[in-house]
Amino acid sequence: MKRFDSILLKIFLFGLPIVIIVFAISNQGMINQDKTFLKWLWDLTGIIFATWMALSLYLSLKLMISEPLRNHVLTKLTFIRERDEREAMLTGRATRTTFLTSIAILVFLFFLSCFQVSIGKLPPNKTIEGKHNYLSLGIGFRFLESPRSSMPKDTPENENIFSYTCLPLSSTTLILILILWQIISYNYSMRRLTKRKME
Amino acid sequence: MSKTIPQLKIINRLHVLRAERRMTQEQLANEVGVTRATIVAIEGSNYNPSLELAFRIARYFQVDINLIFSIEEETK
Repeated sequence: MKRFDSILLKIFLFGLPIVIIVFAISNQGMINQDKTFLKWLWDLTGIIFATWMALSLYLSLKLMISEPLRNHVLTKLTFIRERDEREAMLTGRATRTTFLTSIAILVFLFFLSCFQVSIGKLPPNKTIEGKHNYLSLGIGFRFLESPRSSMPKDTPENENIFSYTCLPLSSTTLILILILWQIISYNYSMRRLTKRKME
Repeated sequence: MSKTIPQLKIINRLHVLRAERRMTQEQLANEVGVTRATIVAIEGSNYNPSLELAFRIARYFQVDINLIFSIEEETK
């Protein structure tokens, strides 16, 4: 890891509490008060926050391309320990388990995000062969996020009982869950492997 | 018809050699550059060391590798 990246990483980490404080202060509404000191402080924290944001983008990009930085930072964050050949082998096995379970979860989430289901009631004048309930099924794939409008709407005529069009989670939550899943799954697998009698 | 390959089990006398030299697992681990958990796993036949580590252990004890590690066919 380069010295420059090491310094930036430290600035990023030490800036984190300031960012949390800024977030807390902005939620308290203290900035709206007409006090010169607070205004000045707010301007300063704004600059710090902007720097921190730029740093977080730079470091996350650097993590993708720089192997030494990735090894230094991510092995600590994910609690990977490879002190000898046995631990390296166990890490490989645990990583394999994590990779495969992550793929399984992603496939499941992919299907959940594609499927569209809607159950509802038709108005009395629109009944088909005496049936007044409907079940609408659909599948859709969009490269870019856009509002979904293909499913039957809850109109004064149609009474929608149940409707499922996409994953209820936001993309940020989903990414966070996947990151946490990777760490938890790896550590759980590693713990299980160290306890289990190996061949 | 595929040829049936017999299952081989690697047995070791590591704990005997270690006891003869009155060494702790920690001491041996430090000498051959692994963790104590690895020595525990090898002695318990829960882990088969790599060739490199096996030779390192043999060299440390100054014995032939066959005196520490040997194989036996597993019967089902």
